[in-house]
Formats: sequence, structure tokens, C-alpha cells
Amino acid sequence: MELFKPEFGLAFWMFIAFLCLFGILAKWAWPFIIKSMEERADLIDKGVAYAQEAKSHLDNAKAEADKLIAEAHDKQNEMLREAEKMRNQLIENARGEAAVEAKKVTDAAQVSLEQARKEAEKQLRTEVGDLALQIAEKVIRKNIANDDAQRALVDQYLSEVESKN
Amino acid sequence: MKKAITAIIAVAIIALMALGYADAAAHRAHSGGGETEVDPQEIIFEHLGDAYGWEVPFNHSQRIPLPVIVRAQDGSWHAFMSNRLEEGAQYDGFQIAKGGDYNNKVVQVLPDGSQYRPIDLSITKNVAGIFIAALLVLLMVFKVRNWYKKNGMKAPRRFTASLELVVDFVYTDTIRPIMGKEAPKYAPYLLTAFFFILTMNLLGLIVIFPGGANLTGNLAVTAVLALLTFLVTNLTGTKHYWKEIFWPEVPTALKLPVPLMQIIELFGIFTKPIALMIRLFANMMGGHMVVIVFMLLIFIFGSMFGTAIGGVMTPLSVALSLFMLLLDVLVSFIQAYVFTILSTMFISMAHVHEHAE
Repeated sequence: MELFKPEFGLAFWMFIAFLCLFGILAKWAWPFIIKSMEERADLIDKGVAYAQEAKSHLDNAKAEADKLIAEAHDKQNEMLREAEKMRNQLIENARGEAAVEAKKVTDAAQVSLEQARKEAEKQLRTEVGDLALQIAEKVIRKNIANDDAQRALVDQYLSEVESKN
Repeated sequence: MKKAITAIIAVAIIALMALGYADAAAHRAHSGGGETEVDPQEIIFEHLGDAYGWEVPFNHSQRIPLPVIVRAQDGSWHAFMSNRLEEGAQYDGFQIAKGGDYNNKVVQVLPDGSQYRPIDLSITKNVAGIFIAALLVLLMVFKVRNWYKKNGMKAPRRFTASLELVVDFVYTDTIRPIMGKEAPKYAPYLLTAFFFILTMNLLGLIVIFPGGANLTGNLAVTAVLALLTFLVTNLTGTKHYWKEIFWPEVPTALKLPVPLMQIIELFGIFTKPIALMIRLFANMMGGHMVVIVFMLLIFIFGSMFGTAIGGVMTPLSVALSLFMLLLDVLVSFIQAYVFTILSTMFISMAHVHEHAE
């Protein structure tokens, strides 16, 4: 059975051929191929990871934007409320001030009115006195004449006074 | 329509095959029976064995001459082309023996008429096949490497991509998971072995010139491959690996008075590569043998039951051989892979460390 008898020459050349092949490939080919393949696998992994990250970033960005918008809304509402409050306060203040001012004005007016009244009263008194004196003078002057004539005269003067006022 | 044409062509081929055999048989019978009967065993061993020349298709007399390199008994080296030894011719005192211990091998005919088997480093058909396979592996691997050199990180296409796929399959899916951090150190050997075996397996399935040599179905070839794995395994083995062999962690009774475990472990060292050698050899040789036997069935049936049966057997035999050849393509890949994965495991098992328990 020559098939089961290993031939020395064949084994020898096989050994040589394998060692040559191994030497060449191990020095110049396999490490480079393995390195390149692993580098490329890493690159692809990194690319996938990067894409996933980018996607999550994008999703996050959307959520963040929504949050920002909601915050802005809140702030706006608050500002509006504040403004309303401020306006109300301003109005309140103005109203108060106006009331005080008005009171001051009316008080002053009242005082001057009182004064004027007093003055008028005083003036009236002197005028009435004067008039009475004049009337009395005229009455006395016309005393000689009759009573009817005197009464008519007083009436006349009184109406004069009244029309004057 | 297409189916009909295919069917017609198939029927025509089958008919031609059957008639061709009948015609050949009739022709042989007519020419006077000078030829000997078909000897299946001889044909099988001729196809599976080595030869000093490489046969050419459709030509039975001439072969591609290959160099014969032998060392004669007196220590001198002789080199000449194998065509000088054709048809039993003698050259320089050498001839190809017929029968005897050195059947089909170059022998030196000594003056007293006895045969001396010289040291034979001839470039036989198998050696030439090994060189061709090595060259092909070199070209293929450098194709992948050059792609990376030139195109960097771009993905390869077509043939290069399929090669890269296989490299990736063997390295990333097999060597790296088993060896872990040590993978880059041993990957060159394992990848070289894988591609070399795969190429030799596939070349063996091609029947004409660059192929046709039954390389991995030869014990010498697989023995060298197994020897290399054996050397790598045992020369790089860690201290712990040797401790496991000579002082394994088993009850002392099993190893002290009678070194039972040590004997078993020592046997294990040698049985592993021997199993590798036999497995590859038997699988590939068996595949080749079955293909040839299926083809020879035509002649065996023809001579046993007559020409008609031989003719009828032809399409069946061809179909079965074709099926076996296709199966062998699968087996070629599987056996190359099995050799690689087992080598990987043997090597990584020799790299155990204390904490790996």
C-alpha cells in the first residue's frame, strides 16, 4: 500500500514550501491584513456609535428645545403677570396720590371759601350798617313828611339794595 | 421553452455517454482483445498516488516532464527530466520500478541487478502541485494585502472581497475567540495553514493540469502539516502546560507509584497531531477514491454484465461522480477549517496559565 507510506521527498518539499510560504506571508502579508481588517472594523464600529450618538443628540436637542420653549413661555407669563401687578400698583398709587391731592385742594378751597364767606359777612355787615345809616339818615330827613311816604321810601331803598345785590 | 431545451440537451448528453461507452467497448472487442482488462485497483492507486510526470488530458502516452533529483548509492546527485524514464527506460542507471517494494518509484539498478532506492528529492507531480498551490496562496493573499495598501479603509469588491470574507471568517470568528490576546501572534501560521490546505484541497478536485494532484490525500503532506502544528504547540507551551502533563491535578494514587496519568497525557501530545494528520488525509483521499470508483463502476459493470449495462451505468456514474465532486468542494472547505480550528485549540490549550483553571 504505497498510499500509506509517506514519501520522504514529498514531505521534504512540502516542509520547504510551507516554511517559505509561511515566512513570506507572516512577514509581509498577514499582520498587515489583520491590522487593516481590525482597523476597518473599529472604524465601522466607531461610525455606528457616532451615528447613534448623533441621533440621540438630535433627539436630546429636540427635547431641550421644547424645554427651552416651555421655559420661555413660563417666563413670558410671569413677566406679564408682573407687569399687570406693577400696572395695578401704579394705578393704585396714582389713585391714592390723586385722592390726597384732591383732598388738599378741597381743603384749601374750603378754607378760602370760609375766609371769603367771613369777609363777605364782614363786608355785608358794614354795608348793611352803612345802608341802614343812610336809610336812617334819609328817613330822618323825610321825617317831616308822612308815615306813608316814609314807608314807601324805605321800601324803595330796600328794593334798591336788593337789586344791587 | 427553456426547460424543454435543457431537457433535450440533457437527454442528448446522456445518450451520447451511453452510446460512447458501447462504441468504445465494441471497438475494443473488434480490435482483438490485445488490451488487458481494466484493473480498478491499479487505476485508483495511479490516480491517488504520486507520479514523476504530469498527465495531459486526452493523451495517455505523453506526460509533462518534471525534474527527477536523486542521490545515488555512491553519494553523487543526479538530476534529469522524467521523460527519460518513460516506458520503463533506463537513464544513468536509474529507472522506474514496476512491481516489488518500490512500485512506481525511481530506483537505481546496481551492477549486480538488484534495486537500490535512492534518496529521492524529485519534483514529482505532487511536489509541483504543492508549489503551484503555494504560489496561488501567495498571489491570493497578496491580492488582499495590496488592496489594503492601495485603498486603505475602502471595502474590497469581487474576488478580493470573498477572500477577505474567508480571512475574516477564520480570523475574527475562529482564531480570535479561541486565542484571545494571543491571536495576532499565531494567526499567521493558522491562516497560512488554512489557505494552503484549502487551495491544495480544491486543486486536487480539478482534474486537468494545474490541479489533479492528490495533495492533501497524501500522508506525507498531512504529516508535515500535523508536525508543524505539533511543533508550534509544544515549543510554545507554557510551564503550566508541561506541569499539567507531568504532574496533573489528580489524586496522587493515579500518578505516583505508577505514572498512569503521565503516560496518558504523553500519549495525548502525540495523538492530537496524528489525529489531525489522519483526518485530513482520510477525508480527502476517501473523497477522491469514491469519485474514481463511481467512474470505474461503468467498466466493472460493463465487464461483468455486458456492454449494454455498462452503457446504462454511464449517466448514473457521471451523475454520482459529479455529486461526489460537489460534496468534495464542501469537504475541502470543512477539512481545511477543521484542521485550522483544531490547531488553534491545541495551541491555545498549550498556553494555559495557572489562573485559567
